Amino acid sequence: MAASNALLEVNDIHTYYGDSYVLHGVSLALNPGKIVVILGRNGMGKTTLVRSIAGLTPPRRGDVKFEGSQLSGQTPYGIAQQGIAIVPQGRRIFKSLTVRENLLLPTSQLAKGKKRAPRVGKQWNLKAVLEEFPQLADRINNLGSALSGGEQQMLAIGRALMANPSTILMDEPSEGLAPKLVQQVQEILLRLRSEGHAILLVEQNLGLALAVADEIYVISSGRFVFHGTSDELSKNSEVLDNHLGVAKGH
Amino acid sequence: MSYRVIGIVVLAAILAAVPSIASEYWVALLTQVLIFGLLALSADLLLGHAGLFSLCHAAFFAVSAYTVAILQTRYGVTTIPAAVAGLVAGTLLAAVFASAVRTRGVYFILITLAFGYIVWGVAHRWASFTGGDNGVTNVPPPSLGGLQIVTKAHYYYFVLVVLAICLLGYRILTTSPFGLALRGIKSSESRMRSLGYRVGAHLYVAFIISGFYASLAGVLYIYYNRFVNPVAAGFPISVEAILMAIIGGTGTILGPFIGSGIILVLRNWVSGFFHYYTAVLGLIFIATVLWAPNGVMGLIRSWRSGNRGEGA
Repeated sequence: MAASNALLEVNDIHTYYGDSYVLHGVSLALNPGKIVVILGRNGMGKTTLVRSIAGLTPPRRGDVKFEGSQLSGQTPYGIAQQGIAIVPQGRRIFKSLTVRENLLLPTSQLAKGKKRAPRVGKQWNLKAVLEEFPQLADRINNLGSALSGGEQQMLAIGRALMANPSTILMDEPSEGLAPKLVQQVQEILLRLRSEGHAILLVEQNLGLALAVADEIYVISSGRFVFHGTSDELSKNSEVLDNHLGVAKGH
Repeated sequence: MSYRVIGIVVLAAILAAVPSIASEYWVALLTQVLIFGLLALSADLLLGHAGLFSLCHAAFFAVSAYTVAILQTRYGVTTIPAAVAGLVAGTLLAAVFASAVRTRGVYFILITLAFGYIVWGVAHRWASFTGGDNGVTNVPPPSLGGLQIVTKAHYYYFVLVVLAICLLGYRILTTSPFGLALRGIKSSESRMRSLGYRVGAHLYVAFIISGFYASLAGVLYIYYNRFVNPVAAGFPISVEAILMAIIGGTGTILGPFIGSGIILVLRNWVSGFFHYYTAVLGLIFIATVLWAPNGVMGLIRSWRSGNRGEGA
């Protein structure tokens, strides 16, 4: 199913949490300059898919390839060092560190491997991130715990960008955000895509998904039940009704 | 920033003036406070910065003290090589005990506790080498080149200079990218892994550096005390080091020294008229946990930010 020359390839992975069988054979391919969206309700395996790729919850069967080489069996830090960054669900910023420290963590030599992935798009640094998210510049010396939800989300995205990744895994970046901020997330997603980043976006927000996706997968109980474009999904009322629980004519 | 510089200068001036204004008893007590403060600081590198609660720091402290004592008294080794050997011995032991960073939480506490008891057991039972309960006595005063440090005041100054150097090193370490990485690990290990950090390697290195600082405290201790016995390796010393850091305020440089001051001054003062002085220390610790979980430094910080709030 997955194209053999893709940047990131997931081939028939099966992932468990202890005894519970979460991902039942999932495959996808992600290419530079593309946004692939995984849509699904809570508990369907979206976050598990991100964790499987990042090596945090390694799949028991199947494999994940990045730039043609196996990620299976690699440590999470090894995977990160190859240029895959995560914007985790619930932001997960370092609350006891300042905004500046949060942003500088990924840039340390200590976090970089010997092999550096080739750069994609613009060079992100502290200045560039603060220009992108001016609300963070105002709070640069505040602790992470003192930020609002929206600011924390911007910080989580900014932190991922600081690593200058080729590939970004985003787990529900719109969760709990005001519509204006969702709009800002959407704009940055489109800009990153135009700069050549490959983005895997896990979402529940159908509007955001339809607006940015090059391809959409709908996940239900650990299996993909739909794969297509935004247009195809908006016309597929069966999938929308049964697996996403949204009324027709969104 | 300028307040901090003024504070450091004033503190340095007060510390430098102590031998000329206080009796020898207080100079000796303050020297002890500084040495145990350094031990507490070493344990706090793990607790306050990396979030690891170690109960074996007396082991590095004692191994380095025993190494110096045995080399000086039995083999006639002079101060500088003996001190270096003490530091190396304690740090090497830390490199072995650092394997404890493979565990977390209560398992880390238990494994470091067990490591600490191994060293205490050896010090206590291998009497032919360590002198058993009698320990090693008659350690000569330190001499650096032709300079012998005999009086308590001179040794106090010597400790002060050594401390100034290693506190500067500690400050550089904790504000470096490595120090930031430790605080990130304390906050979330999995997050640090997905940012590309080798968490285990960082904690391993931090443990060894921490052991080095504890060994340095051991070297300063042996020349202060001039004798060492298994008490130095005992569980109570490891616990006190941690308590000093908590009472003073973890994650700070001054905190462990304040904690050391509170515990040692109280012990010396209260034990003069109250036999159960450890009960008093217990009450202080309970009060700290209940009302000042961030220690004295935490109280100072919240008092200062409260003042600033009023001013604004």
